[in-house]
Amino acid sequence: MNPALSSMALPLLAGLLLLLAGPGLMRRWGGTLTLIVSVASGLAAWMALQSTLDSSRQEALLGGWEEGLAIRLELTALSALLLLFTALIHGLVALYAQFSRHGVSHAYWPLSCLLHGTLAALWLSGDLFNLYVTLELLGLVSVALLTQSGPRAWRPALNYLVLSLAASLCYLLGVAILYGQYGLLDIELLSGVTENDAVTRLALVLMTGGLMLKAAMWPLHGWLPAAHASAPTAVSALLSALVVKGPLFILWRLWSEVAPADLAIQAGPLFAAAGIAALIGGGYASLRSPYIKTLVAYSTVAQMGYAMMALGLLLFWQHPQMHVALWLFVIAHGLAKASLFMAAGEIQHTVGTTRISGLRGATQTAPIAMFAFAVAGGSLIGLPPSGGFLSKWVLLGPLLNDPWNWPWAAGVFLGTLVSAAYVFRAVIMAFDRVHIKRVNLNPDHTAQWLAMLPALLVWAMALSGNWLVQWLAGGGI
Amino acid sequence: MNPLQWGALLPLLIMLSSLIPGLLIFAIRENQQTLRTSLNLGGATIKLLLVGLMLWGVSQGQEFRFELPFLERAPLVLHGDALSLQFITLSAVLWLATTVYAIGYLEDSPLRARFFGYFSLCVSATVGVALAGNLVTFLLFYELLTLATFPLVVHRGTPEAIRAGRVYLIYTLAGGTVLLMGIALLHSLYGTPDFTPGGYLGDFSGDGSLALRVAFLAMIAGLGVKAALVPLHSWLPRAMVAPAPVSALLHAVAVVKAGAFGIIRVVYDVYGVTTATQLSLTPVLLVLACITIIYGSLRALQQTDLKKRLAYSTVSQVSYITLGVALAGPLAAVGGVVHLIHQGLMKITLFFCAGIFAETLGIHSIRELSGVGRRMPWTMAAFTVGGLGMIGIPPLAGFISKWYLGVGALEVGQDWILLVLLSSGLLNAAYFLPVIYRGWFGKPDREHWKRRIWPGQRLETHWMLLVPAVFTALLAVLSGLFAASPASPLSWTELIIVTEFDP
Amino acid sequence: MTIVTAYLLAGLALFLIGLHGLLTLQSMLRRIMAVNLMGSGVFLVLTALAARLPETDPVLHALVVTGLVVSISATALALRLHGALERHREDG
Repeated sequence: MNPALSSMALPLLAGLLLLLAGPGLMRRWGGTLTLIVSVASGLAAWMALQSTLDSSRQEALLGGWEEGLAIRLELTALSALLLLFTALIHGLVALYAQFSRHGVSHAYWPLSCLLHGTLAALWLSGDLFNLYVTLELLGLVSVALLTQSGPRAWRPALNYLVLSLAASLCYLLGVAILYGQYGLLDIELLSGVTENDAVTRLALVLMTGGLMLKAAMWPLHGWLPAAHASAPTAVSALLSALVVKGPLFILWRLWSEVAPADLAIQAGPLFAAAGIAALIGGGYASLRSPYIKTLVAYSTVAQMGYAMMALGLLLFWQHPQMHVALWLFVIAHGLAKASLFMAAGEIQHTVGTTRISGLRGATQTAPIAMFAFAVAGGSLIGLPPSGGFLSKWVLLGPLLNDPWNWPWAAGVFLGTLVSAAYVFRAVIMAFDRVHIKRVNLNPDHTAQWLAMLPALLVWAMALSGNWLVQWLAGGGI
Repeated sequence: MNPLQWGALLPLLIMLSSLIPGLLIFAIRENQQTLRTSLNLGGATIKLLLVGLMLWGVSQGQEFRFELPFLERAPLVLHGDALSLQFITLSAVLWLATTVYAIGYLEDSPLRARFFGYFSLCVSATVGVALAGNLVTFLLFYELLTLATFPLVVHRGTPEAIRAGRVYLIYTLAGGTVLLMGIALLHSLYGTPDFTPGGYLGDFSGDGSLALRVAFLAMIAGLGVKAALVPLHSWLPRAMVAPAPVSALLHAVAVVKAGAFGIIRVVYDVYGVTTATQLSLTPVLLVLACITIIYGSLRALQQTDLKKRLAYSTVSQVSYITLGVALAGPLAAVGGVVHLIHQGLMKITLFFCAGIFAETLGIHSIRELSGVGRRMPWTMAAFTVGGLGMIGIPPLAGFISKWYLGVGALEVGQDWILLVLLSSGLLNAAYFLPVIYRGWFGKPDREHWKRRIWPGQRLETHWMLLVPAVFTALLAVLSGLFAASPASPLSWTELIIVTEFDP
Repeated sequence: MTIVTAYLLAGLALFLIGLHGLLTLQSMLRRIMAVNLMGSGVFLVLTALAARLPETDPVLHALVVTGLVVSISATALALRLHGALERHREDG
């Protein structure tokens, strides 16, 4: 358990330390410290992951209180993997923020460290109220990060803040109702005692609504594109790759552990159907988007559809393979999306416009960034042998087993076509040779290669697929 | 098997012999022409040597298999068997020819690093398709092939090229997704074992025939896009905007052949001819192939643009391969599989010649070809060999394929196929003979010809354009003339078919 | 027990009024206030639940205190952001 705790505590401490240190030191040492901390946190997470291979589940009760009162932190193979994933993405984004020309203001460093630590706490938390606190912190830190790109981001940031507060309150009310009914906050203690009555259903609906709003799940996704597209590039990458996954994690725990089994089976198809709607609706919006970054942001809405579908079918069929598919999606999407935002930011800067039409001729003006964009996009589509393909393959298995399940497979099919359409809409334009705008033919090589890095990792992920599937199948549920 | 044994490494090396030069070419500067050319030619030569080594090994009964863990019950497998060798040999030989041609063709044009980079990736993907040892590996390279060829199709970057590229992607990506669905469906039932001569579905008991049929149709639909089966063919004529070496490669080796090769694999090595016939799936394929053969020829007849006519002719000719497979008899199978080689040799010659006419004299439409034979006798002779071969005049390569197809149709009692073959042959004659006649005996219209003279040119055109065309024409003649010799494509095909029908 | 129920209902009513305000109001300041109202509703529910047993439940009180801290800091951030936005609009 200790490595996992240090993986969480290191970024939290670093964030607080930087806040205390003041702007001057933040500017000078922020980047270096953040990089060191994310590497150290990643190593600790790796050790935690190794330790889960021997004993599948470990826990710690904070503060010396007895069970039920204390804050319970628990470590499974899944949470260890998510710790590692968080540290990896944070480190990759920090590299980009530190070494490319898309630098960030000094306040970015403590905030990104706090974001990392909060997410780590979220992966490890075992009770509903503690999850509320991490959720709220996550929202506040995200808003603070959003405001970094100056006045144009303030309105989306404020809008995001208000909605995020309302969503957390919905969640909190649900927690209160559950506590009133059962006198428990601990997820593990709650699972098994909940009954399928009106009060529990009300609580679950409230919590689900709040979480879906926070995770920008269709149909509560309206706030996301403006917020993610207006942020500085590094922040967009963090928000899309990591932040929306937090509420998803809570939603998964809520429905697969707290909710009574018969209710979960009823709710499953609804989630899955909403997932298909997200894939198609979000994909269509992405296809129509006039800006590069909104295209990428809407694709987050669409891709969350796969996760919802996997979650819904996991609840519906109680099929463990869906659990593997869900978390493979989360990891593959995180890597691909980080790469897409970094590439988009670099291309925008090189061609001097935020509009999609600026991509014309991008294979010549910003070749490596455009290649990274296409490679990461290939994983979103699910082209083999990428991480996106791996997760889609795992998802498809049970869908195709029985002819009665084929309609769900048709949903995946449509989702793939729509994602191919919006990714290649951008890529085709980049090969246009006629209308090159020569604004600034001075692409930043470091930024381009740093954008490429996560894209290469997501393709490499497919080759380590066997281990990932084993880890997720072993200690997740 | 010890992974360091050369039997395991050779398939990987064949793959890397074009992949590594391709990646290096991306990295070097635009003006480092000598280095790029030596990388290109070096890679092509090494690949040819390695393929030769493997050919020798397989004929000695050696196993070539490379495996990496990938998905559950579906590893990545590169496997050199007789059928894959047929395809790789074709691609290795034609890649060398096309590389020489492309270097001449693109001399002094911009963005050559990008072009040759993707060109090498495209060949690597083709080799992967050929060497793939199971369906999942096949799918992987099939999709990579789409991605690697797209930049080549849109290479010119004109609005027309971009439009063609968009149509190409819509067709191929949708096809790839359908193929994925079919493969995943079959995987959920049987896992993904290696391709096995005679199929791995085993004795078909009657359960789950719906899923098997759906999976088959999905896979054929996905493969049919690249094999240009009607009605999935319309990307192919549009893709003609690509530079001539790309068209040549797309039509003769890479894309359409990957589709046709996939159909061969699915029918022979996944389902097995017996099971496919039991499920009454081969008649569907047969009808599709016949419609495509006739429709492609009819559309070719209507075209006035030389490249467009050749493109529709490809639509028609590639379906001979499907026809041979669908007839489900050994003799027809020989005809179909050997046509993979024969059509490749003849069609690449025709496209090389069309490219030479366009580059040297600015000729694009068939009308402008009048009398070109007097100005460029070598090119016109190569073109004539290709055209006559396509019609099926003995002793050229095309005749051999058609002969086996016809005899094979009689063998399985599908006599009506002879009518299809006969009418298609007549149509082929109707759209090739006038072109050939016009080229040799028409009245030259010299004012409309734009002359392009390369520095130091002594032949009728740049030697790097002419030599590959004459070389492939020669191969087409030889593989017809010496069809009975043990080294011919025909003999090799017979070896393949014996194992498929008598495993 | 009835008084607890009454407080519970009052808390729910406050929450719903706040939610209604959030969904219908345009002015950002009012929406911030609506969210605060939702928060008050939730805290009222929590405090009422704490009194549901003869012995007061300390866990819920702890939750309310934590919730209040979170809520105050979030409101402060929202107001600061709103102020900055207003000033920026006046300047620009």
